[in-house]
Amino acid sequence: MKGHTRRDDAREQPTLLPSNIQSAKELRPGDRVVYPNQGVCRVAGLEQKDIAGQRLEMVRMTREEDGAAVLVPMAKVSSVGLRRVSTAAEIETVFHFLAAVSSDPELDWKVRHRDNVERLIAGGVLGVAEVVKGLHSLSRIRPLPNKEREQYDGARHLLVSEVAVALGVPGNLGEDYVDYALNPPAGTRFQLKPPPKPIPISIPAYRRKKPVVAEEAEDLGLEELGVELPEEGAAAAGGAAAAGGEAEATGEEAAARPARAGKPARPAKPRKAAAGKPARKAAPRPKARKARKPAPRKKAAPRKAGRGGKRK
Amino acid sequence: MIRIVTLAPFDEGDIAFVIRTLYQAFGLGTEHVGERKLPAEAEGDDGRYDGPKLLEEVSPVRTFADDKVLYLATVPLSMKPGPLGEPPSYGFARQGGDRAVVSTARLPQRGVAEASIEAFRRRLARESVHYVGHLWDLHHCLDARCAMHPSWSPLLGDDPGHDLDSFCRDKSEQRIRLAKT
Repeated sequence: MKGHTRRDDAREQPTLLPSNIQSAKELRPGDRVVYPNQGVCRVAGLEQKDIAGQRLEMVRMTREEDGAAVLVPMAKVSSVGLRRVSTAAEIETVFHFLAAVSSDPELDWKVRHRDNVERLIAGGVLGVAEVVKGLHSLSRIRPLPNKEREQYDGARHLLVSEVAVALGVPGNLGEDYVDYALNPPAGTRFQLKPPPKPIPISIPAYRRKKPVVAEEAEDLGLEELGVELPEEGAAAAGGAAAAGGEAEATGEEAAARPARAGKPARPAKPRKAAAGKPARKAAPRPKARKARKPAPRKKAAPRKAGRGGKRK
Repeated sequence: MIRIVTLAPFDEGDIAFVIRTLYQAFGLGTEHVGERKLPAEAEGDDGRYDGPKLLEEVSPVRTFADDKVLYLATVPLSMKPGPLGEPPSYGFARQGGDRAVVSTARLPQRGVAEASIEAFRRRLARESVHYVGHLWDLHHCLDARCAMHPSWSPLLGDDPGHDLDSFCRDKSEQRIRLAKT
C-alpha cells in the first residue's frame, strides 16, 4: 500500500517526472525510450513469441549501449516504467539540481538503499540524478561500501547515457558535464535556477529508527540490581550468613562453601558468569574489593568479638 | 595493446614514463608508434582544437581489434559547452571507444628542474591512465587518489596519484578479460 502511494506521489510531480508510456500503441519503430535500470533503448518493432504455451505479443527493443535485445510483453508496457527520453530542457533542470547545495544524506543504509532502488525504477531522470547526488554527497562523508559503489556507478551510467542522448553529445562529454556540476573546479560559481522539488519519499512507521538510549539505561539498571543484591547481603551479614545466602542461589556450590566460610568474596565470580552477562566486567571489580575487606577482619576474630562486646 | 601517438615532439623520458605507467595500470603491452601531424580541420577560431573532431580527422594508425590508441598533444582542447558551461578539458575519449587524446596544455609546466619534470611526467601519466580508462568503459571515480577522479576536481592535490583504485582496477580488468582478443 505504502509503496503504491509513493509511486503515485512521484508521478504527481510537475514537468521533471516524465510521462510514462501507457500503451504499446504509443510506440513506433525507431522511437527512443528509457527502460528503468537498463538505459536508453530503441524500439525495433512488434513480434509474437510462444512462451510456456502462450502466444504473446512483444515489443522488441535494442539497448543502444551494447545492442542487447529487450523484449517487453505488450500488456506490461504500462507497468514496467518505460518512458520517453528526457528533453534538453528537462536535462538542464537536472543539472541545476545536481549543482545545488546538497542536503544531508540519509545515514541509515537500509532506508537509503530501498529509496534509491525505488528512485531508479520510478523516479525518472530526476530520480536517477537524486541517487547520484545522494551517494556522491555521502561519499564525501565516508567511503561507500562496495554494494553502494556499484549502485552509484550504475546510476551514474544511466544518467550519463540519458544526458548524452538528450543533448546529442558523446557519452564521455555527458559525464564531464555531470561531474562539472557535482565537482566544480575551485572558484567556479554557477548561476543556478531554483532546484526542482525532489521526489517526496515518505518513510513508513516501521522503517523509522527507534531510540536505543532508553533500552541501554534499562539494561544497566537490571544488571546492577542483579549483581548488587546478593553482594550487599554478603557485605552486610559477612561470614557464615553470607555463605548461607549464596547456598540458596547456587545449590552445587553450597557443599564447598562451608569450608571457606571465611572468604565470601571469591564465590561471587562464578555466579556472575553463570548469570550469562559478561558485558559488565568493570562493575563487579569494586564490589569484589569491598567484599574482600571483611576477610582480614575475620582473621582477627578475637578483636571483632571484643568490639562487639564494647558496642553492646 | 595500447599504442601511443604523439602529435608534437615529446621527450623520450616522458614517453617512457607514460608507457611504464599504462602497462602497470592495465597490464597491457604499450608502445610508442610514432608522430603524426595535427589535423588543421579541428582547429577552432580561438586557436583551440575540438577534441571529438581531432580524433576523427587525425591520420589513423594501424591497429588490431581491441587496440587502444592514445594521442598526446600540446595544444589546448575545447569541447562543446554543457548546460552549466564548458568544463576544463584535459583530453577527450569516447566511452568504450578505441582512441583518446590527452593535452598537456593544462598540465603544470615541465620546467628544467628535476622536480618539475617529475611532476609533469606524473601528471601526464595520470591523464593518460584516465583517458585510456574511459576507453575501457571506466567512469569517473569518487576516490580523489584514483586516476579516474575528475581532472579538475578541487580534491586533487598538487601531485595526484596515477594509480587506479581497487574498484576501477577490478572493473577495467573485467572489461579487458571480456575483450574479444
